[in-house]
Parts: sequence; C-alpha cells; structure tokens
Amino acid sequence: MDFSLTPEQQEWQTAAIEFAKTSLADDMIARDHKGEFSRDLWQKCADFGVQGLPVPEKYGGNGADVSTAIAVMEGLGYGCKDAGLLFSINAHLWTNSVPILLYGTEEQKQKYLPGLCNGALIGANGASEPESGSDVFAMKTKAVKKGDRYILNGTKMFVTNAQVSDLIVAYATLDEKMGVLGICGFIIEKGFPGVSISKKIDKMGLRTSPMAEIVFENCEVPAANLLGREGRGAEVFNCSMEWERSCILASCLGTMRRQIDKCVEYARMRKQFGKPIGKFQSVANRIVDMKVRLETARPLVYKIGWLKDHGKSAVAEAAMAKLYLSESFVKSSLDAIQVYGGYGYMTECELERDLRDAVGSQLYSGTSEIQRNIIASMMGL
Amino acid sequence: MSDVKEYLRDYILQEFLPGESRENLTDDLPLRTSGILNSIKLLQLIGHLEEKYGIAFDAHEAGNVANFDTIEGMASLVSSKKG
Ligand SMILES: Cc1cc2nc3c(=O)[nH]c(=O)nc-3n(C[C@H](O)[C@H](O)[C@H](O)COP(=O)(O)OP(=O)(O)OC[C@H]3O[C@@H](n4cnc5c(N)ncnc54)[C@H](O)[C@@H]3O)c2cc1C
Repeated sequence: MDFSLTPEQQEWQTAAIEFAKTSLADDMIARDHKGEFSRDLWQKCADFGVQGLPVPEKYGGNGADVSTAIAVMEGLGYGCKDAGLLFSINAHLWTNSVPILLYGTEEQKQKYLPGLCNGALIGANGASEPESGSDVFAMKTKAVKKGDRYILNGTKMFVTNAQVSDLIVAYATLDEKMGVLGICGFIIEKGFPGVSISKKIDKMGLRTSPMAEIVFENCEVPAANLLGREGRGAEVFNCSMEWERSCILASCLGTMRRQIDKCVEYARMRKQFGKPIGKFQSVANRIVDMKVRLETARPLVYKIGWLKDHGKSAVAEAAMAKLYLSESFVKSSLDAIQVYGGYGYMTECELERDLRDAVGSQLYSGTSEIQRNIIASMMGL
Repeated sequence: MSDVKEYLRDYILQEFLPGESRENLTDDLPLRTSGILNSIKLLQLIGHLEEKYGIAFDAHEAGNVANFDTIEGMASLVSSKKG
C-alpha cells in the first residue's frame, strides 16, 4: 500500500488549496454569526469541480478516484475556513450523489447527476427522525405503494441542506414490522406534492451549513424514484454512510494541518518571560501531540481511499477512521485554543469556531459510540 | 433443503461467528431477532444467498421475520425459490 499522493493528486490538492484561499475567503466571522449559507461559494466549488469529483464524466463529473477526492477535500479543509460549506458539500456528495450513482437507474443518473455536479442542484439526505437517530432503521416514516406511486408520511430530523436542497435522498419503511428489510430509499424532488420544510434548526457549529426538519405529508413519489430495490434501502443507506464516514473527515485533516501551522507560527512569535512560548516544553508538547494526531489519522483516511479504489469494502476501516479522526479533531481544536491562551478563546482568532465545528464530527454519520459498536461487531464481538 | 442448511451454517459461522462451535448454531436459533445478525450482516447474508442460488427475494419475503430469523426459515425459503 502506497499512500503518497501521485503527481496528479498532488496537483489537484495544491490547486484546491490555492482555489480555497483565493476564492472561498470571505467574511467568515460574520457569516458564522448569522448562520448564512453562501450559494455563491457553492457555485464556485461546483465550477472548480468539487461536486463532480466522484461522478464519472458521462454524468457531468470528473471521474476522480476516491484517493483523489480525499486529497482535494483535505486541500479544501486546509485552505477554506468555511467548514459549514465543506460539510454541506460532503453531505451532498456522499449521501445524495454517490447513492444515486451507485444505486440509481440509468434514467435517474442521467436526470439528476449532471445538475448535482454543476451546482444547479443541491442534495440532502433524510434518514434520522425525532425518535430514531442511532437506531435509524427503527424509522417511522411510512411508504405505501399505490399504483405507480408511493405515498410517504413522516418527519425527517436534522436534515443538512434541507432549506436549500432541490433533491432529498430519503428513507421510509414499508412496514415497521419488517425491520431493516422494510426500508426503501427514494429520490424526492423538493417540488413533489406533500414535501415541506417545517423547522429551521440552529446549531453550535457548522453554522453556515443549513439544517431543518422535513415533513412528508401524503407526499407522492413516483415509483420511478425508488432508489435501489424495494426493501433494500438499508443497503443504500449503509453504503452512503460508509462513503460519508470515509470521506467527510478528509477536510478535517486539512483543518488540523492549518491549526498546527497557525500554532507553530504563534508559538514562535508570542513571547512571555522573555522567550517564545514554543520554547516552553509544555507548549511545544501540546503542538507535538497535535502533529502526532494528524500524522496517525491521515493514513487511516488514505487507506480507505486505497481500499475503495481497489474495489474492497471498508466498513470497519471507515468506522475506525471516523472515530479516531473526529476525536483527534476535537482534542486538537482544544489544544490550539490553549496554545493561543486568552486570544484563542476570542472569536476574532477563529479557533473557537474550529472547536464548535469539530464537536459535530463526533455525532454526525453515526456517533463515536456507534462507530465503536460497528468495529466491535466486525471483530466478532 | 439440508444442503442449504449446512451451507448457511458454514457461511454464518465463517463470516459472522468465528470461533463459535457448530453445535451451538442450531436450526432454530433466532439470529435476527436476537441481534446476532445486525443490519449490515443481514444484508450481506441476503445478498450472498441471492447471488449463490441465482434467486431474488422480494421485499415482503425478506421482510417477513419468520422467513429470515433462523437457519430453518431461511433454508426453507431458499429451497422453495430455487425450485
Ligand atoms: C451536524 C449534524 C448534521 C447531521 N446531518 C444529518 C443529515 O443530513 N441527515 C440525517 O438523516 N441525519 C443527520 N444528522 C443526525 C445524526 O445522524 C444523528 O444525530 C446521529 O445519528 C445520532 O442520533 P441522535 O442524535 O438521535 O442520538 P441518539 O441516537 O438518541 O443517541 C444519544 C446518545 O446515546 C448513544 N447511543 C445510542 N445508541 C447507542 C448504542 N447502541 N450504544 C452505545 N451508545 C448509544 C449515542 O452515541 C449518543 O451519545 C446530523 C447530525 C449532526 C450533529
């Protein structure tokens, strides 16, 4: 296994960093405060090719392999301070575009993928419900087949991108008694009768990534919009979670690298007791720990890229990478604030936002506890 | 049907219960309702059976817990489908 970037991947990553620094730099403090999503930046990312990364050229994408997608996301995480925007793009890619690519019919792929790649369409994912989060397949949203349509009724909770989305990959059950084998995936256009955005949800971090509840009330979905086989929606969902866990934190690797650069620079420049604070071992050690976390987390993510590029499953690896990286990200975000002292705690320093953004990573795409359960189960425990 | 049962027992032991003794995996041991087969494993098993025997379970067959809880139930459904 060779996890070093190929010249082409390196070129992509360098271009992504440059693009992010020049085109995605805007007044983050104010937009974070207002919780404002930028459609303009979304479009710039699409024009750069981010939303089309894993999608083959024939559907309007770039046909990049997984390792390249990870390299680009890492580059964006380093160069772009709008973690909410990157989070929204990740949700769009791994829980909407990729399931359509992998499980969609030819007609569905031709209809939806070009718009999802070129920025015209924004995708969302509706799985969680008020009463089923970790136990997602206990969902209550019901799908009843009537002729050539399914009628959906239920509420989806914590839907990233909901307010700005055009297309929701959502899940419903044919009958709760059927358990995991009653779940169906659907591609739901926002304009289908019976779809409504019920409540905007404000959050601790990732505030520029919109979130809301979605209600389906006698929502009519053409049978042609079933995603995957009837009753096999759990397969679609598990696959999308494996992809999301694999790739969503690649941008956090970039942010962790940015935090280290920032801390090294500060520790060299800031003087107390007559010398740079980096000369105090306890400050230097803190930055060393941040570095060790980054260097140990990075191969876990690139290993998944390698596995997926070689057609191998990465269920346990994705769970391990997600668990380790998210917990490392939170610890390093706290460390960065400590290195900066009181200044680190202040909004202007832009480190407190990283911490708020980081905390969500231990929750979305399955909490740390659920990742540990997945790993334990893969170990035969 | 007995060959399907033995095949299922081998597959489940190898993939999901490594180290477990064969005698403990009886025909009537609940696998799904007991949580031995979680969603990932259940989907893997169903996909594997479809591929191996060239059959397809529709949603209501696979979703019927009686069909997919025990080796007995699964073997009987597979046997009836492969004709
Ligand atoms: C920023 C963000 C974005 C999100 N975006 C989306 C989205 O776009 N679409 C979507 O569908 N969902 C989304 N979610 C929802 C997310 O998937 C759920 O929050 C997550 O699955 C946990 O569910 P819950 O919040 O209901 O917590 P619960 O499942 O109620 O868990 C509460 C606590 O109990 C623990 N727990 C639960 N079960 C177990 C167990 N078996 N073993 C050990 N511990 C357990 C959990 O780890 C947690 O600590 C998002 C969440 C966040 C934070």
